[in-house]
Amino acid sequence: MIEVKDVYKKFGRKPVLKGVSFTAEKGKITALIGINGVGKTTIMNAIMALTPINKGEILINGEKLHKGSFEKITFIPDAITMLPSMKIKDAMQFMDDFYDSWNQERANELLSFFRLKESDKIADLSKGNTAKVNLLLGLALDVDFLLMDEPFSGIDIFSREQIAEVFTSHLIEDRGVIITTHEINDIEHLLDKVVLLDNGVVLKEFNTEEMREKEGKSVIDVMREVYRS
Amino acid sequence: MNVKFNNRDPVYVQVIRHFKEQIAKGVLEPGQEIPSRRELANQLKINPNTAQRAYKEMEEQGLIYTEGNLPSKITKDELVLKGVRKELIMEAVETFIYSVQSIQVPLEEVLDLVTEKYQKSQEEGNV
Repeated sequence: MIEVKDVYKKFGRKPVLKGVSFTAEKGKITALIGINGVGKTTIMNAIMALTPINKGEILINGEKLHKGSFEKITFIPDAITMLPSMKIKDAMQFMDDFYDSWNQERANELLSFFRLKESDKIADLSKGNTAKVNLLLGLALDVDFLLMDEPFSGIDIFSREQIAEVFTSHLIEDRGVIITTHEINDIEHLLDKVVLLDNGVVLKEFNTEEMREKEGKSVIDVMREVYRS
Repeated sequence: MNVKFNNRDPVYVQVIRHFKEQIAKGVLEPGQEIPSRRELANQLKINPNTAQRAYKEMEEQGLIYTEGNLPSKITKDELVLKGVRKELIMEAVETFIYSVQSIQVPLEEVLDLVTEKYQKSQEEGNV
């Protein structure tokens, strides 16, 4: 489980996170939702210790963040970090060289799942396929938690569908996933849990099925209530 | 398998309903193997935990059964199967009654219409 407890973060004088708390469990898909600029990416960076926090704590499986934590979590940024001149094959090799947790077998499975050719150069890929390669590189690592920053944004509908399919497939296994998104159309049924953020605070955290069952509300219904009030 | 889910009812409830409809229509036959929870999640584009929940509930209701490590199957229990059909019919009837009552139409007026419309749409192959 990832526990974010009362986390504060300022950039200069500007507070970005103002006491954020939520949890994300293994085997579940948790979405951090909010209009842009509410601190979603900052939270992910904080979990990865890429940015120091001013107050609060973050626990992974009950332990404070330490060097070994990052063998259990990976962060997939919203844009690919590999050089455009690399072939997919080279990017995979790069990951293999750098990470002990690289799982070549899963990487190959993902290649065929996304119908990508490893001899293709990253620079020549469509936006959708670039996003798929980006995801592949993170998903192929043997980690307990995957953090994905906006995996669905700015790509065509068919790529979106294919990426959504990963979440229902065995390729995710029983790992925990946190995604950030500002748009939940057609991924609503994939989510176990939703954390609604605004202006550096958590406005609401809920389980989607429980919300439908007990209150008969969709995620969008709740968003409307929370953000429009 | 293609299901249009609404966003307000629990997805697992909608999945169970879908199975009941398939059973009532005879698309799913008694003893027929059903997809694994992963396969179902993939086919319906839903969360695997939700698929799991639906199967657990269906198992408890006796709609499906599992022997050892084999894939789950549709029940062969006649009583349960008849119950499914009855339940769906009752639901449809109740919905119908509710909408007719809400516009205050007397039963006699509507029954002939139902018969007429039903026959017509069957002739046209809409059912």
